[in-house]
Amino acid sequence: MIFSSNPARGSRILNGLALLGVTAVLGMAFFWQFAYGELPCPLCLLQRAALIMAGVGFLLNLRLGPSPMHYAMSIAAALGGMLASGRQVLLHIAPDDPGYGAPLLGLHFYTWSFIAFVAIIVFCAVMLSADRKWGDSMLKKPVSALGVLVMALFFVATLANVGSTTLECGFGPCPDDPAGYLLLDSAAPR
Amino acid sequence: MVMMLPFLTGLAAVWFGMLGKRRPCVTFWLLTLAIFAAWCQYHMTSPLALSF
Repeated sequence: MIFSSNPARGSRILNGLALLGVTAVLGMAFFWQFAYGELPCPLCLLQRAALIMAGVGFLLNLRLGPSPMHYAMSIAAALGGMLASGRQVLLHIAPDDPGYGAPLLGLHFYTWSFIAFVAIIVFCAVMLSADRKWGDSMLKKPVSALGVLVMALFFVATLANVGSTTLECGFGPCPDDPAGYLLLDSAAPR
Repeated sequence: MVMMLPFLTGLAAVWFGMLGKRRPCVTFWLLTLAIFAAWCQYHMTSPLALSF
C-alpha cells in the first residue's frame, strides 16, 4: 500500500489530458454536425457512444486513481468503436464511392475515428505498463479545478449528444441516411 | 431499438463517475456496452458492397 495525499498525480494528469482529447473529438464532431448540417448516421452515433464509454475509463482514472480495470474499460470501448468505424470504412472502400459526409484533411470522420480508437488502445497499453505500482482503489482522490473543468466539459458533451440524438432519432431507431431532425420535423406546423 | 438509449445510460455512467461512485458508474457502463453490442448487431449485418 502506498500512503500519499495525492497518489498517482502524474498518471491522473495524463488521463485528464486523454479525457480532454476525447471531449475535443466529440466537440469537433458536434461542430461539424451543426456548421455543415451533416447529420450523423447510426454507425457514426455508435462511434460517439464508444468514445463516451472510453472516456468513462479515463474519467474514473482521474477521479479514483489509475486502475487496470479502468484501462480495460477504455480498451473494450475502443475495440467496439474500431468495430463500428472499421465497418463504415469497409462500407465506403469501393472505388468511386464518395463516402459519407465531407472529409476533414483528406480523411472522412469514420477513418479519423478508427485512428482515434487505435490511439486510445496504444495510450492504455503504454499507461498500463508504466502505471503498475498503484493497484486498485475506490477512494476518491483530490481533483484540481482544471480536472473538474475537464470532467464537466465531458459531461456537457455527453449531455449534448443525448439531446441531439433524441432530436434526430426520437425514441426509436435512426434511419440509415438521416435527412432531418425527426422530433423537430414532427413538431413543425404543417 | 431506441438509438438515444446508450447515450442516456452513458450519461448516467459519466455522472456517477464524476461523483466518484464506481459501482453504479461501472453498472451503467456495462449496460451501455450491452446496448452498444445489440445496436451494432442491428446495424452491421447487411452485406458489404465488396466483390472479391
